[in-house]
Amino acid sequence: MANNNSTHNKMYSESTYRVGDYVYFETSSSSPYQIRRIEELNKTPSGNVEAKVMCFYRRRDLPTPLVQLADKHQMATAEDSDSPVAMKLKKMWLKTPVSEEQAAQAVLDPAIDKVFSEAEENTSALEEEQRNNANSNGTDKSELSNKQKHQMKHRELFLSRQVETLPATHIRGKCSVTLLNEEESLLSYLNKDDTFFYCLVFDPTQKTLLADKGEIRVGSRYQTELQHLLKDDETDGRKIEELETLIWTPHHSLTDRKIDQFLVVSRSVGTFARALDCSSSVKQPSLHMSAAAASRDITLFHAMDTLHKHNYSIETAMCSLVPSSGPVLCRDEMEEWSASEANLFEEALDKYGKDFNDIRNDFLPWKTLKNIVEYYYMWKTTDRYVQQKRVKAVEAESKLKQVYIPNYTKPSPALITNNSKNNLLNGTANGNNDILALTGNKPCESCSSSSSANWYTWGPSHLTCRLCQTCWNYWKKYGGLKTAASRLAENDVEALKKRPVETLEDEEKVTQAHRQSSNKCTYVNCGKEFKLKAHLARHYAQAHGIAIRSNSPRPIMKTRSAFYLQTTVTTKLSRKLCRHVIKSKKAARQPSYAVSLTAVKNEFAIAITKVNITDIKSFLKYKKKDRGSVTLIANRLGNPATTGCEWLKLTPKDMMPKPEKVAFPKPPKGPDGSLIYERIPNKATPEPEKFVIPNTIGCTIITPSNIGMPQSLPNLPASVTATPISAPLPPSGKRRAYELNGLDPAVAPPPTKRPNKDPMPSFRPSPEQYAAMIEAAQAAGQPLPRTHMNGKPKIAQMSRSGSGRKQVISWMDAPDDYYFRPTENNKRSRRNLSVTELRRLARRPWRKTSVNNNFSNNTSTPEGPQVVILD
Amino acid sequence: MSTVPHSKKRVCYYYDSDIGNYYYGQGHPMKPHRIRMTHNLLLNYGLYRKMEIYRPHKATQDEMTKFHSDEYIRFLRSIRPDNMNEYSKQMQRFNVGEDCPVFDGLYEFCQLSAGGSVASAVKLNKQAAEICINWGGGLHHAKKSEASGFCYVNDIVLGILELLKYHQRVLYIDIDVHHGDGVEEAFFTTDRVMTASFHKYGEYFPGTGDLRDIGAGKGKYYAVNVPLRDGMDDESYESIFVPIMTKVMETFQPSAVILQCGADSLTGDRLGCFNLTVKGHGKCVEFVKKYNLPFMVLGGGGYTIRNVSRCWTYETSVALGVEIANELPYNDYFEYFGPDFKLHISPSNMTNLNTTDYLDKVKSRLFENLRMLPHAPGVQVQPIPEDGIKMDIDDQDGAVEDDDNKDERLPQSIKDKRIMGDNEFSDSEDEGPQGDGRKNRESFKNPRKKQKTDGKAEIDGVKEEKNSSEEKTSETSNQTEKKEENGTATKKEESNEPLTCET
Ligand SMILES: [Zn+2]
Ligand SMILES: [Zn+2]
Ligand SMILES: [Zn+2]
Repeated sequence: MANNNSTHNKMYSESTYRVGDYVYFETSSSSPYQIRRIEELNKTPSGNVEAKVMCFYRRRDLPTPLVQLADKHQMATAEDSDSPVAMKLKKMWLKTPVSEEQAAQAVLDPAIDKVFSEAEENTSALEEEQRNNANSNGTDKSELSNKQKHQMKHRELFLSRQVETLPATHIRGKCSVTLLNEEESLLSYLNKDDTFFYCLVFDPTQKTLLADKGEIRVGSRYQTELQHLLKDDETDGRKIEELETLIWTPHHSLTDRKIDQFLVVSRSVGTFARALDCSSSVKQPSLHMSAAAASRDITLFHAMDTLHKHNYSIETAMCSLVPSSGPVLCRDEMEEWSASEANLFEEALDKYGKDFNDIRNDFLPWKTLKNIVEYYYMWKTTDRYVQQKRVKAVEAESKLKQVYIPNYTKPSPALITNNSKNNLLNGTANGNNDILALTGNKPCESCSSSSSANWYTWGPSHLTCRLCQTCWNYWKKYGGLKTAASRLAENDVEALKKRPVETLEDEEKVTQAHRQSSNKCTYVNCGKEFKLKAHLARHYAQAHGIAIRSNSPRPIMKTRSAFYLQTTVTTKLSRKLCRHVIKSKKAARQPSYAVSLTAVKNEFAIAITKVNITDIKSFLKYKKKDRGSVTLIANRLGNPATTGCEWLKLTPKDMMPKPEKVAFPKPPKGPDGSLIYERIPNKATPEPEKFVIPNTIGCTIITPSNIGMPQSLPNLPASVTATPISAPLPPSGKRRAYELNGLDPAVAPPPTKRPNKDPMPSFRPSPEQYAAMIEAAQAAGQPLPRTHMNGKPKIAQMSRSGSGRKQVISWMDAPDDYYFRPTENNKRSRRNLSVTELRRLARRPWRKTSVNNNFSNNTSTPEGPQVVILD
Repeated sequence: MSTVPHSKKRVCYYYDSDIGNYYYGQGHPMKPHRIRMTHNLLLNYGLYRKMEIYRPHKATQDEMTKFHSDEYIRFLRSIRPDNMNEYSKQMQRFNVGEDCPVFDGLYEFCQLSAGGSVASAVKLNKQAAEICINWGGGLHHAKKSEASGFCYVNDIVLGILELLKYHQRVLYIDIDVHHGDGVEEAFFTTDRVMTASFHKYGEYFPGTGDLRDIGAGKGKYYAVNVPLRDGMDDESYESIFVPIMTKVMETFQPSAVILQCGADSLTGDRLGCFNLTVKGHGKCVEFVKKYNLPFMVLGGGGYTIRNVSRCWTYETSVALGVEIANELPYNDYFEYFGPDFKLHISPSNMTNLNTTDYLDKVKSRLFENLRMLPHAPGVQVQPIPEDGIKMDIDDQDGAVEDDDNKDERLPQSIKDKRIMGDNEFSDSEDEGPQGDGRKNRESFKNPRKKQKTDGKAEIDGVKEEKNSSEEKTSETSNQTEKKEENGTATKKEESNEPLTCET
């Protein structure tokens, strides 16, 4: 059973094809398999799997002169690589492709021919040696060698950069193709089934061969001038201080624990600073969020820098965290950006992709490129990005990593069926039965054997040859007959070979049309030109990541080519002059409406005589019709009110009927006309003590009311609720305390480089007060270590979503506008509602329900749930 | 915490907080952000506090033109996305535009990358550090007057040139999945720098790195190329890396080593095709570290950035000799590491096209090449003068003479090889590559120790740290002798006079 299982698994893995695998493809039943490398597996809408594959050519697929040259190349490789012969041939190929004509010349070149014969000698010497080593199986030695030579040619492939798409169901098994390494003996390929090698690259369009090998260049333009070893009395004049700035050293007296503690302290300071900073407190309406924001790496890096700057003295470092101007606040881009900026960014990303320069220019000109890049990489950690990615993942589902294709078991049409019952199945279309009649008991064309389980027709039908099972398999895989002895082998291979070449030529004719546009990159804003199509192909692959069919300069991804209609002068004129014949408006509406060209021609001939040259010129001038702005038109289209009907006009706002209940009433206005928002407590604790905020410098500064700090501190609740009297929202949605208190009067849009140390001038806790506050915050249990990783305390609220993915709550994911914070009462009353009632309520919040009183009353009282508007 | 334990190395780490914000452009696989991700992991793993952290200077034009041509650097300095059109000719000439796009801050980026590697080299020269790490460096494709493969300025070459001031022989090892062609080309004709690159070869960028490319002129046999095929896994990698590098260390006897840790050889890399795990990749760092030579660790390729930062974080921990947990600490970029949030990665089930047979063939060919090396060329074992930090004494004139002598020396060394060779090979066969490595590690500790202690005497800062210096200095003289023995031992009984041909 277990055995069965393992064999099953093995079968399964053998029939599972992955991207990157080398495979046999059957595209015609009579010709050998084609050898391809899977580049991509794509699911089509119809549920089939298509494989994008890279083509390898067999020797039989090459033009004859190139084949001869390839033969010589192989001879040279088989022999010692340092010999002049190999060098000569190597030079020939290196970097410059050898075209068909050159190859034909080279074949005739007596010098190369000499090289060839030398190589031949060497090869046979080599083989002699190999033969002596190998255990002979009783056959004539020289015959074995010839046979090997013959078969070796079947194992050499030619890489092309041609890519094509084939149905995956035509895969007929795996093979392996490797770049030949001189150290390997060719025999190692012969001795292993389904192994091939390649040395040269064939370009089917240019009909060239090329050894694709880079070259290390030698000369003063390439090598470096060498630095000599300094003498005893020589100095290099290097001052290490000029080359580096020390940021941190491990050589100090602090213990690991002390450093950890200091990190906690600086995070606490950061949390507190955020509580005091109005823009932060809007963004991070809970202590959790402030603590999480204060735990970002920028705070930690700043803490380490601080320690270093203060000579690893915890005390002075700590003091520097709370200068007289207020606790230090370090913010990275993630925190620096307002929600509206974040929205802008996402919109821009949608529009421009990751072209951050364009995004900056058109959407966020007050940011620097570095701001945007830093923000981008942080934004990727948010759930917003993750959601986007999920959408993309669904899209990418059509790209497969592997595909399972069961072994192909259908008999080949070339199979000669002796069984008359099968005649019907096989049909007579391929004429196999006629061949059967003709072939009779002919021996195998390749091995001359006359017994085999199955026979296959092979070669041109009039020659009526057949192959035994083994030779047929060999033919399909290696594209040749096992021995060169067959009387037909050469001709036959030629005959069969013709076909693919012809089709290639046809394809080429088609592409001739494209070619006149030279080898220019069609990619937008690129337009590079290349001498060779192959270079263009490589450019596409490297610069734009696009694979192209080498017979077309267009990227393979584009399925439809764009076209445009170029109107001639006559056409343009006739549109004016023969308007009543052409009826262009009618034609535009009814594309099937036929315009009689002869009528137009006649009309044109008459009309043209009647107009003078200036008229003609004016006709040809392109006049832009003024239709107004597109936006206006679009607005008009969507707004029938502009048609003039009185009843379609929008009711003015003040005439609108007032709703019975305002579900989300606007908060009261402050003295300066700005809205006053209420804060939500962090926990549903009894209404906490309120701080009164003295509006000292005409801005929002949050100060504990009971300034007798030490006494009041123990009472500081875990949820510090501060109600700012006025929080005028800045127009940009960006607001720093320093912008208001005049420390930074020039509020230049690009914010200062981090770390951003916002001073909080009016609130100056003494160090003792400060320590007490920290303690209180810790006692309240909130911000301190929840997750311990590697023994390092770390504040981060980790939650697991339904998928089990770890999540960190981020202010990025905080709702953008409203949210409702229910009290216990609300929650209780909700439980009394049925699901339908709840739903109905959700849709119509003004509706009265049995529990509605409770509900609506609460919204209006300050003690009730609070509505918070973010940004 | 005040003192680093003795087994631990003095590690200096170079980083500029700006580096992560350079952006090659939309869709470009090279993302300097990976260096920042690494940095944040280092902080939250607590590795940050165990190293000296430096912000590198920005390398000057003068420093860069030590290797690069003036006009090329001038071009890099002046080109910007908004004036690209005026430079189209130069862009073509210097191969800037496609793989190597013009982006905002391009020149600064090069300055920081090169600045870190140059500072590292100076640091090692001054013996103020044993290991220097610059993940922003390792841009190994850049040529003298040409950008290539996402690299503009070859910080490695600049670093090596700096090291050559105090080191007679510098070894460069490259484990990026791509061939280290820029470095190889720069030092193709010298015997003072050996470049060893392990890379995918065949239908792969940059197309160089054939087994037969072994250097030219005086540098013949000083370029070692290990062409590999798709799917290299940890086991195969170690099976070829260890024996070859052991042999290289033994025959070349470098006095400083640079390791380019391109992480595109990791499994699942966007551009790579190997199947290495972080552990397998890190083994190379571990291997080199054991030789106790001045050691520079650089970045390089790596295009699946979460794995790059995993890898370089782990390799930093290896350099520090600190074990870190597999569970990743929380950090700003934590979400990148989902769904498992682990440090280590598993290999994929891709086919390894490197058969043992193939690797053996490559290995034996490379061994043959290495046997052609004169044993420890220009090696001079003599005590370092009190006032000099330098290891070996040589000068350019000497080097020229060397060249003349080389022809005489070569046959000699071949003779040595014949005598020694058999021995060595039987050795390694008996013990296996592991044993071979251990043996060599032993013999290489010595020169380094000597250098370290000698050098320490003059450098004030280092003194306090090494308490057992007296003890070691006394040891040193013995070791120097031993080392001399080693040197002559290569010649066996045949000639007892120490390396006559060297000066
Ligand atoms: Zn047969
Ligand atoms: Zn292009
Ligand atoms: Zn690379």
